[in-house]
Amino acid sequence: MTGTNKFAALILGLLLPLPASAIDGDELLRKVDRNLNPESYEMYRKLINIEPDGRRKEFVLYSVKKGRDKMIALFLDPPSEKGRATLRIGDNMWLYIPEVGKPIRITSLQSVVGGIFNNADIFNLDYSAEYAVEKYEQRPGGHYLELKARTGAVAYDRLKMKVDGPTLLPTEIEAYAASGLLIKTLHFKDIKDFGKGIRRPSVLETDSPLYKGYKSVLIYANIGRRDLPDEVFTLDYLPRARELR
Amino acid sequence: MRARLLASCAAACLAGSAIAEAEEKYSFDIGKFEKQPFELSGYAELRPESYRLNRDGALYKLNFYNQSARTRLDRTTGALEISGLYRHGIATFNATAHGEVSRDDLQSSDRARMYEAYLTLEPSTGVRFEAGKRALRWGKGYAWNPVGFIERPKDPNDPELSREGFAVLGGSFTRSFDGPLQTVTFTPLLVPTSRQMNKDFGPGNHANPAARLSVLYRDTDIDFMILGQGARGARYGFDFARNLSTNLEIHGEWARIRGAAKPVLGAGGAGTLQVSDVTSYLIGLRYLTERETTWIVEYYRNGTGYSQEQMRTYLSFAHSAYDQFLATGNSAALERAGALQTSYGRANPMRRYLYVRASQKEPFDILYFTPAVTAIFNLDDHSYSLAPELAYTGVTNLDLRLRFFALHGARLTDFGEKQNDRRIELRMRYYF
Repeated sequence: MTGTNKFAALILGLLLPLPASAIDGDELLRKVDRNLNPESYEMYRKLINIEPDGRRKEFVLYSVKKGRDKMIALFLDPPSEKGRATLRIGDNMWLYIPEVGKPIRITSLQSVVGGIFNNADIFNLDYSAEYAVEKYEQRPGGHYLELKARTGAVAYDRLKMKVDGPTLLPTEIEAYAASGLLIKTLHFKDIKDFGKGIRRPSVLETDSPLYKGYKSVLIYANIGRRDLPDEVFTLDYLPRARELR
Repeated sequence: MRARLLASCAAACLAGSAIAEAEEKYSFDIGKFEKQPFELSGYAELRPESYRLNRDGALYKLNFYNQSARTRLDRTTGALEISGLYRHGIATFNATAHGEVSRDDLQSSDRARMYEAYLTLEPSTGVRFEAGKRALRWGKGYAWNPVGFIERPKDPNDPELSREGFAVLGGSFTRSFDGPLQTVTFTPLLVPTSRQMNKDFGPGNHANPAARLSVLYRDTDIDFMILGQGARGARYGFDFARNLSTNLEIHGEWARIRGAAKPVLGAGGAGTLQVSDVTSYLIGLRYLTERETTWIVEYYRNGTGYSQEQMRTYLSFAHSAYDQFLATGNSAALERAGALQTSYGRANPMRRYLYVRASQKEPFDILYFTPAVTAIFNLDDHSYSLAPELAYTGVTNLDLRLRFFALHGARLTDFGEKQNDRRIELRMRYYF
């Protein structure tokens, strides 16, 4: 190999994405997941939908998650939603409405609450469980990831994620439909120490070009590790999810 | 200097208020949502309805033959439902009470019922014992549940309404596994009947043992259920539900009922109790389109239903009885037919029905607004009911729903002979 060829190969090697970079991206995404939440956790969230005229609608949710794919989300407020609970096991999802009296299997894309939130905002598992890294770049001060949904069960087909370098926490995520349409942008704000080594953004603001003037906000509280028996994540237990707290 | 100080103070105050506003904007007082030993919730409801009466309908003639002729009936119903629970250690006591006051152009009525009142003991996760009045819900169907062996009939026009339960004694045992069999739950129970208890479940003193075995196997929900011989004929069945894709769910139920009894009116007006073994089943799907329209479609084969011939015989008899009453003033035949209304006049009394419901989430970007239309087709006589509705939940804790019902059918058909052929209803429900 001539000197020129060696130089060209070196330049080409630097320019072409290597498999190693994808592995780095996957590792980074898993770290982002763990920095956001323990793998098994409980947390409280307030969801606020803010309309252009300033009107708000608020929901309070209690959630528990176990492992990569089991999750329960229970509405605590407002009273019209209180007691509604959703169980997710992988791509299977069930909705329990107290008046109906039994869990009903729903399609995983079915919205269980009105407004601009959808299931992906409320019942999301780890990013690394739902998305594969397609592109990873190191940028000044942080990292940039492009993610592709592993299955069609998630609302957003692609994500573009900006990650803060020192904290390895996401700062902004753009969510796209399969058509390439930007659905919404998530802004992570107000890093807070939740104790026991959990330090993460406490506010997630969302805006969407599809809903101009509307904004939605998620506020996190009391995030902590919690390991629950598998029997909690069953249809039989779902009507009594309120007893978990 | 003073002016600069004032300006600085004003700026600081403004900044402070802005911060306070920002903080207030995203405040989350988690203390308000701490788990309490005692919880209370419920709703108050006001429901005005207006019926256009079907004066040619057999059921109108049966119910209004001794009234002055009318074409319209207005009714207003107020309802209050309160649910409470008290927890102490491994024990939880749950209760739900429901009361209704109704007034229309002819009469007023009220009723108060305890829908549920039961004690749960849960010594460990996956093990539970229950005793008391409990509203059990079996089956995967949305509008109908052939395997709902231990429940009161569901109104397919309002399948999500709460209903009164029965006094039961039972338990539940759940185990989870790794592998294709993910969960197994066994639920044995007794539904004791006597003169004092569960009288409307069936006659006689019986323990009425029942059980359900539920599994989640390869991402499919499957239940097997059985109710032993007792106050009701023995019956067994199964149901299933599964997501075929991320926007398509299918479900089904199958039930075999031994010794199902139904009163049948003969052509001469003589009633007999027909007893036979019957099979009921349901197959359905739930489909979500890209535009967020949810379709629910269900086909129901009602083994306990009347054949088209049996229904025509009954309806013809009602018309003849009315003509006889007009001619002679003798209402005996009308009263005989009227006594069978609980069976012939119930919702969906025949054998083959198709339920179709389409609801659109927030069209035209109107948040919390859901229009829907529901159709129930009687596939035996080709009569049908069509019910468009508008629902709005944009005001916190207030649900508004406006519905209109239009019933269509030829003479001597299920929907063509109902007491009313049009109905409009506004439901205002406030949760607390």
